[in-house]
Amino acid sequence: MSSSQRSDLQSDAVSSHKGFKVLGLHGGRHIEKAGRPGEASALDNINSATVGEISSFLDEAGHNQETSRIPAGIIIAGPSAPHTSLATQLAKHENDSDSNRIFVTLSSGSGSHLKAILKTLIQKATSRQSALDDETDEVQTTKQKSTKLLSYDLQLLHDFVTERHLQQVVVTIDDTEAFDSDLLSELIELFGYWRNRIPFVLLLNLATSVDFLQQRLTQAAVKCLSGRLFDVAPSSDVLEQVLDAVTSSDAPSYLGPIVMGAALERQSDYIQSIDGFVDALQYAYMSNFYANPLSLFLKPTLVREEVPDDHFEALRTTNSFRAWARRLLDKNRATEVKKVLQDNGALFDLARRGIGDGRATLNGMMLAVTVVRTLQQSLPNTFVSRKSSLYVQAMSGKLAGSAMLRALHLTVRKVPSDTAVKILQSVLALSIEDRALSECADVATELDELVRAQAEAGKPLRSEEDIRNSTLRTTVHAQKVELSKHKTSLSQQDKDFTALLRRFTDILTRFFSETLVNPKTLLFNEIFVYDLRSPHREVFTPRPRHAIERALASPHDYLDCECCAPDAEEREEATLAATQPGTAILYQLYLESGSLINASDLWQAFQAVMGEEREEGQTRALFQRALAELRALGMVKSTRKRVDHIAKVAWRGL
Amino acid sequence: MAKRRREVEEVVNDDLTPRKTRRSAIKDISATASSPVSHAETPSGRKGILRGTPTKANGTASADPTPKSLRKVLFSTPAKHGQDEGDEETPTATRNDRSARRKSQRTLQKQVADGEESEEEEDARDEAVAAAILGEAGSDIDDDNDAIQVAEPSSAPDTPSKSGKPRGRPKGRRRERTPSPPPDLPPHELYFFQNRAGGNKTSANTLASNLLLTHEDYYAQVTAYEDPHEQDVKRLQQLHERGFEQWRFELEEGFNLCLYGYGSKRALVMEFAEHVYAQVGERGKPGIVIVNGYTPGVGIREVLTALGGVLLPKGVKMPAQPAAMEDMLLSALAEAPPKQPLLLIIHSLDHPNLRKPATQATIARLAAKPGLNLLATCDTPHFPLLWDTSLTRHLHFLYHDTTTFQPYRAEFDVVEDVNALLGRSGRRLGGKDGVGYVLKSLPENARNLFRILVAEQLVVADSEGDAATIPAYDDSDIDADAEAILGDSDEEAAANQQSTPSRRGRGRPAKKPAKAKSASLTKPVVSAPQGVEYRTLYHKAVEEFVCSSELNFRTLLKEFHDHQMVESRKDAGGTERLVVPFRREELEGLLEELV
Repeated sequence: MSSSQRSDLQSDAVSSHKGFKVLGLHGGRHIEKAGRPGEASALDNINSATVGEISSFLDEAGHNQETSRIPAGIIIAGPSAPHTSLATQLAKHENDSDSNRIFVTLSSGSGSHLKAILKTLIQKATSRQSALDDETDEVQTTKQKSTKLLSYDLQLLHDFVTERHLQQVVVTIDDTEAFDSDLLSELIELFGYWRNRIPFVLLLNLATSVDFLQQRLTQAAVKCLSGRLFDVAPSSDVLEQVLDAVTSSDAPSYLGPIVMGAALERQSDYIQSIDGFVDALQYAYMSNFYANPLSLFLKPTLVREEVPDDHFEALRTTNSFRAWARRLLDKNRATEVKKVLQDNGALFDLARRGIGDGRATLNGMMLAVTVVRTLQQSLPNTFVSRKSSLYVQAMSGKLAGSAMLRALHLTVRKVPSDTAVKILQSVLALSIEDRALSECADVATELDELVRAQAEAGKPLRSEEDIRNSTLRTTVHAQKVELSKHKTSLSQQDKDFTALLRRFTDILTRFFSETLVNPKTLLFNEIFVYDLRSPHREVFTPRPRHAIERALASPHDYLDCECCAPDAEEREEATLAATQPGTAILYQLYLESGSLINASDLWQAFQAVMGEEREEGQTRALFQRALAELRALGMVKSTRKRVDHIAKVAWRGL
Repeated sequence: MAKRRREVEEVVNDDLTPRKTRRSAIKDISATASSPVSHAETPSGRKGILRGTPTKANGTASADPTPKSLRKVLFSTPAKHGQDEGDEETPTATRNDRSARRKSQRTLQKQVADGEESEEEEDARDEAVAAAILGEAGSDIDDDNDAIQVAEPSSAPDTPSKSGKPRGRPKGRRRERTPSPPPDLPPHELYFFQNRAGGNKTSANTLASNLLLTHEDYYAQVTAYEDPHEQDVKRLQQLHERGFEQWRFELEEGFNLCLYGYGSKRALVMEFAEHVYAQVGERGKPGIVIVNGYTPGVGIREVLTALGGVLLPKGVKMPAQPAAMEDMLLSALAEAPPKQPLLLIIHSLDHPNLRKPATQATIARLAAKPGLNLLATCDTPHFPLLWDTSLTRHLHFLYHDTTTFQPYRAEFDVVEDVNALLGRSGRRLGGKDGVGYVLKSLPENARNLFRILVAEQLVVADSEGDAATIPAYDDSDIDADAEAILGDSDEEAAANQQSTPSRRGRGRPAKKPAKAKSASLTKPVVSAPQGVEYRTLYHKAVEEFVCSSELNFRTLLKEFHDHQMVESRKDAGGTERLVVPFRREELEGLLEELV
């Protein structure tokens, strides 16, 4: 067990380093950098609308200073608050426009009482600009000579504002919910009192609701505010946008279902902010381009001479290549295989072709996903699947025969003509250049004619499968209920319509079966589909406790030494050996004990394990060291319950 | 039901009566049995003397001259006499009354009425019945029972204790209870098993204080120690070193790194720092700042100052407050980011020194800046709990398991840590040498006083060591002594000591000769006085013209206290005693130096 675990443990490190060694680090970086801008711009655009709104709100508030109430922008960020990206975007936006305002960000950690908060507020507000421009420094000092003010006196801020002729002091509160409600109320009331002297504007980040905020504030505080509500894009929408950017048609490589699934799951379960997801994507790309030497072939301008020979050997060992060779051999096309096996140049061409085809196929798959979503959107009463989930399904090859697709087909067949027109229009609007779908245009024109002919009748055409065209009849016959379905007779137009719909769905079926292939079957999919769980999982969701417990409970897993290897026969008994590191021995003894441990008995046991032959002083030193390490690792702590006892704190595996 | 029973028990105990819950039941039985008085004796009864329990009072009160089985005294009914008298009456009436409280009250009243009347013994059958009833009455009673049988200091045979002398109760009477949990328990079950009520019984052995090495001994031993795994540890490090390029790349891409796993990661990280430095970038060498988070007294201020030294231009004065320093650094990073991102390496980011939320937040905010790369190592298994979501996002960590198995040489002060863990006087300054150093800088009088104190302490230790009552630092005496001390409060300790780690069959047979227990058994229960009485020392000091007044004396002592060379303790009588917290050998060494 242990040796296999060990190799598993080290394999990711080893595999990723192979990449560094083999691949001279050329090529990859350019592509990788090129792949990023789409993502980045998508990120920038996410909340641009909201940011624009907020800044116009600030401008507006700057213009009418007369109101005695503090203008307050209440930003509903949802569970992804505190939304730092919004604050930075705002600041960036502000830097572009030259307005006379300062931004101060307060968080619940800024202070636990009013004085402390004010102190930080003033400090942040006044120090920021004094560092930037120093010509006004003298004024400040001379003016303040007269009276000595306390550091939490808002007069300081007032002086500062009048000196700089600031129009606005924008106070952003990041985690409004985390504030003590009394403190927040006091702060707002105080701002209200100073409103006639200092032009405060508040920006409150909310994770919950305005009602909740109102409940928490005192009435006096609420009266001081005149609020405006802003919505931030919910994180799930942001996620879809990022995904769109990543799967756009010029994507150099795709993420497989495992990596993407893991990232999405983590996103929805544990972290809400988009940054984490972007990190996950970035790391996946990094892993692909740096740890996979074959990603060299993704470089658009690659020429044969740039590729070292061993890369071709690596290409020939890929699973997809083998499967491809097997397929060709089955078809008795041995010469082709032979050529590729012997000639690197031929293989190079094959690889380029294979990668190009594969990427085109995947691109088609993304289109298919879009088509599915378009259909769902234009059909009434249909749940629109998230792109992310469809993506994962498609990449794992499960979308092709899925129940969802079948249900979609059946629904399409039942639609009346008005909906059918809409569906066709929306599908055509996607302007997909696909052979299969191009027929849709014919269907659409024919349908148009039909509908026009029917237009006088004033009611839409219905297909054969429409429920309204079949009636259920129940007849009681010999004390048995007979259920019979009866088709109503259809008009000629209806029949034509049915035929058209059938044609349309057939086209769709063909389209889906062509595009929705399992990426694993594509030639050289190892290159353009990155789907390794190994480094990804450890790097983002570490299990430090497990690692330490394992290291101590079975040090052999890490050390791989002969002396501590457990015997195959008596695995359980042999876990404790004198050759193991002292801490490991002590930890295993510790595991057996109850919540209080007698240090003396622990020592005796330790000594017994270490053996008699060792010098006692040595054993003592090891014991002492092991005990200190256990303490520092937070496994034991001292207790006053009994003399010379230590308390157990951590249980393994909990 | 159980609660009710406890109540009863308490009431009975308060009245200095032999408690027993099922008394009424027994009583009823004995009433109908009308048994002859039998004076069965159990040899174990003798041990009852040890326990200053009410039972003894009862025993002496009894007019019966024969020594009685303690066990039987415990469970017998003192009110039996009265019951006998009322034998002709209908006992059923009592029996039908099921209220335990009323029953107990009634018994109590009867007992008061009976006064000094002698109690009688039950016959063997009664005892058997009582035992049967008690058998199901719950474990706490059983435990008492056991403890009484073996009030003798002992360690159960199944503890790993090496000093296991052939003591304790006779084998035959031992109830079989497995010390180790059933194998293959799932973790949560194991947790509950090890935390179950009454399940945690440890022996009362104490660790002889000379077992713990001093700084110099420890250092000598550790440097002499040859790790049999040296090669493997080296290989493990080499394996991690192969990740350097990857780490560097990840840092370049704007991630920060967090290394975790067992073993000191110091050497590895230093190696990495050199590796990074050796790589000549296009834009020159990167700046590297290394923070040893484990150094005592390191705080955020030191971290920020170090960063400021690299990031800020020369001659810029840093503000004093960490918050202001942070702002300054942040703005410096924003305005003039270094050409190469600065590499900030923090050893032991999760060390208590840096564990304050404010500190972590500051580090996180700095690490979020693109001009700064953070490489941190974490030692504890729970370090991710330090950071909430926003901190985690700022820190932007990629985690790598770098289990090195290297000893934490620089990180932990082993000797001090263990002393603190075991509640020994952990803060004494640097052992014997430290004291010598302090004494050198003190006036003559102070040195003389300390000499007197040490000499007196040694004398006291010697004299009382002869009487075998002092916890002299002698292995064999210690546990006996401690047993005597703890015996009362921890009767259960003697019974079952499952929870100390077993020796897995490697145990040696206990071969220490049986020791005469009598001496230790008659010892007073309180801890034997240690050190010198305050008054005595004062008088001695005055005699030797070390000081003339008590004020003078106190001033001298204060100096010792400040350096933790002297501890003052109150003994059981409330008199203050002064103790030099060192081992005997060290004391002797000190005395030699002083004279």
